[in-house]
Amino acid sequence: MAEKPIIEVQGLTKRFKGLTAVHDVSFSVEKGSITGMIGPNGAGKSTTFNMICGYYPPTEGKIFYNGEDITNKKAYEYTNMKIARTFQIMKPLKNLSVLDNVTAAAYFGHAGAKSEKEAKERAMEVLHFTGLYEKRHVISKDMGTPDQKRLEMARALATKPEVLFLDENMAGLNPAETEEAIQLIRKINESGVTILLIEHIMKAVVSLCEKVIVLHHGEKIAEGTPEQVMNDPYVMEVYLGTKKEGASA
Amino acid sequence: MEVFLQALVNGILLGGFYSLMGMGQNIIFGVMNIVNFCHGEMLMVGMYITYVLYTYFGVDPYVALPIVAVLMFGLGALIQSTLITPSLKTKSFTNLLFLTVGLGLLLTNGALVIFGSTYYKIITPYAQTYIPLGPVTIALPRLISFLILIVVAIALFAFLKYSTTGKQIRAVSQNPIGAEVVGINVKKIYILTYGLGVALAGIAGSLLTQFYTIYPTAGASFGFRALIVVVVGGLGSIPGAFFAGIFLGLLEQMSALFISPSYSDMIVFVTFIIILVVRQVMILRRR
Amino acid sequence: MDTRKAVKTYHRNLAIVLAVIVAIFAAIPLVVDKPYIINIFVLTFYMSTLSMAWNILGGITGQNSLGLAAYMGLGAYVCCLVVTKTGMNPWVAAVLDMLVVGVVAGVIFFPSLILRGPYFTLVSIAFAESIRQFIINSEFFGRASGVGLPFGKDSFAQFRFTSKVPYYYIGFIMMVGVYLIMKKIGRSKLGFALRTIREDEDAAAAIGINPTKYKVIAVVISAIIAGLVGFFYVSYIRYIDPDVMIQSKSTEIVLPAVVGGAAYIEGPLIGGLIMIPLSELLRANFAAVLPGINMLMYAVVLIVVIRFRPSGILGWYMNSKFKAFIDEKILKKPSLDVLEEYELMADKGGK
Repeated sequence: MAEKPIIEVQGLTKRFKGLTAVHDVSFSVEKGSITGMIGPNGAGKSTTFNMICGYYPPTEGKIFYNGEDITNKKAYEYTNMKIARTFQIMKPLKNLSVLDNVTAAAYFGHAGAKSEKEAKERAMEVLHFTGLYEKRHVISKDMGTPDQKRLEMARALATKPEVLFLDENMAGLNPAETEEAIQLIRKINESGVTILLIEHIMKAVVSLCEKVIVLHHGEKIAEGTPEQVMNDPYVMEVYLGTKKEGASA
Repeated sequence: MEVFLQALVNGILLGGFYSLMGMGQNIIFGVMNIVNFCHGEMLMVGMYITYVLYTYFGVDPYVALPIVAVLMFGLGALIQSTLITPSLKTKSFTNLLFLTVGLGLLLTNGALVIFGSTYYKIITPYAQTYIPLGPVTIALPRLISFLILIVVAIALFAFLKYSTTGKQIRAVSQNPIGAEVVGINVKKIYILTYGLGVALAGIAGSLLTQFYTIYPTAGASFGFRALIVVVVGGLGSIPGAFFAGIFLGLLEQMSALFISPSYSDMIVFVTFIIILVVRQVMILRRR
Repeated sequence: MDTRKAVKTYHRNLAIVLAVIVAIFAAIPLVVDKPYIINIFVLTFYMSTLSMAWNILGGITGQNSLGLAAYMGLGAYVCCLVVTKTGMNPWVAAVLDMLVVGVVAGVIFFPSLILRGPYFTLVSIAFAESIRQFIINSEFFGRASGVGLPFGKDSFAQFRFTSKVPYYYIGFIMMVGVYLIMKKIGRSKLGFALRTIREDEDAAAAIGINPTKYKVIAVVISAIIAGLVGFFYVSYIRYIDPDVMIQSKSTEIVLPAVVGGAAYIEGPLIGGLIMIPLSELLRANFAAVLPGINMLMYAVVLIVVIRFRPSGILGWYMNSKFKAFIDEKILKKPSLDVLEEYELMADKGGK
């Protein structure tokens, strides 16, 4: 299992007109794993994420996927490479039904459906998998947050990705909903999808991730298993409060 | 040389009106993010109000100006509160666009129904006075209009920058939700803003009556110029609109002079498109 | 199987209703002999078609352009000029004009597709006006006086008839044909791509949709159909001049779509069938007496619809009890689940 990592990020830097949002971040994601990226607000997680997903180009640095340099690939080329993503600020296709949302996605990507029937069938499959089947005819803008989050994942899954990027998928969920989301993510991973996620909810990070990367002020300050990272004194100081408080894990 | 200077001066004077229209449009667009497609028609309404006041009440157009401004403000406020604010909720840009388009149709045809398609003119005793200024001649009304325009622009700028209401308007334009959170009555600001924008168009129309014929579609080209000015001058930037308007007036007169009067419209449009596209590309490139 | 039977009954009922509607339309010229009324229908047919052309870019893809009349006019000009200068058959010229308009629109719009929302609309207006100004200033295009098609004996090959009736039928076929094409697009991968772009461009890119590519496709389809209507128009009126391309004409094209419901393929069709005859009747009955009153009423209708029924007539209809009634009692439409089941089993040879 210690082969070439599926995603490798080297020296990623992003400068916006005088503000350096991300500085020299490097890490790798092992195939089949669940890796987490955490850090206080403003640490540069989303910016890093968006660079890796092709939403804006890095000022410096490179991104590799299965050894191939994808640094300059455009956002819409990703599903063709079997990489899918969700958004932190949910983007349901508001006026379309859940089924249509996922059917739309099923047409695209490397395994784009060739016919309406094929697209619908795959959409149904994904809806069953993510537990949204019962709600498939609901217009997506009328759904609550947890369902919309699942819809984000369903849409991503419909493109049959090998790698899935989840951007704060659990923000705004109550504990029961969080647990459901954790189960779903685990289920997705078990079906063979590598996952890189940004998260604030420590419970999720600890129970899901094999490796955690910690960002602060745009730089990587720690990397390791959740336990290692949680017990790192600098991380505790920066993220979890002073050494006195913040005992989790 | 004299021809060139005359064109230069005419361009600036004409551009003043574009600035006025642009500033009004900018306030509306900047705050509510809607394109007021009936802005040109509002100018036309201002023209007709001035005409009525002059012909039936003997009020000199310049004296009528404040009356027109107030009436137009009222009209804008009414439209905003009854039609636009409720439609803002749908968050559908298409809807708001065509709402103002529909209003434009309403106003144009309303004018047609009430006044007919006859061309009207206001001829004041001093309308034909020309002032020689070195090699160029300026019609007195144009000069007065331009001076009034400068006053209005400065007043507007000062209002937005220094007054409490002005600051509230700017707050709403930057972040309506945030503004609401800090206690600004956003609905009221919307009404104020639209009213103000419309009033500015009305003022432009009123000033225009001295040297433009009045007819139902008189405002159309000005309306479109307003949009160009907004885009070229920069969204939400009142000074930007001011200078862009002058620039547009100059562009028009110069292309009429150097290339051909009939092509000047086309040149204006093409320039506009080029500026717009180039600017977008630059914005994207910077990402 | 119960499912099959239920769905087949529904399909049969639907087909009957549609056949009745088509039959009514087919019969109208046979019972009505006032050319004036036939003219209203012809107008309705080609304006609705034009509105559908707008809608594929505007309502479906969410890119509001406001200059389609210019492309229709351009198509009419190209067709007219080619026929008069080279003697080409009008039907063949039509294909040529559709190609030309499609290419022109595609090339012109391509750099502007990075613009969103109001900027795009403004540019589309500017382009349309530029085209019109260009034509007004061009000797080749006949300047402001326009170009005409030759008159002569009735001839199908030359798409030239003295009576309005043949135009009625051909116009109807054109409208229905374009509708069917639009419907097909709506259910296809392209349709999904366009609607996704409308809802959220970022999400579209995340799925793998290249927004620019699909917007270009929508622009070109829209322009090609506008070109087609241009051909029809010039063959009907036998004449084209720049007035066809003024801004307000472009606006008139959009109104049926907005009133009918821009999010639906049927929207412009329904909106057109209602608004255009309405506008014409208003014009005929009132305009002579009080010029402008007809457009005034038209504007009022538009404003009222947008204010109170923003999703248009179809938007209201889709959620109405009226539709529920029709579906249940008249069409005997089965529930969504049953329909779905049918769709997914259809090619598996059934059970």
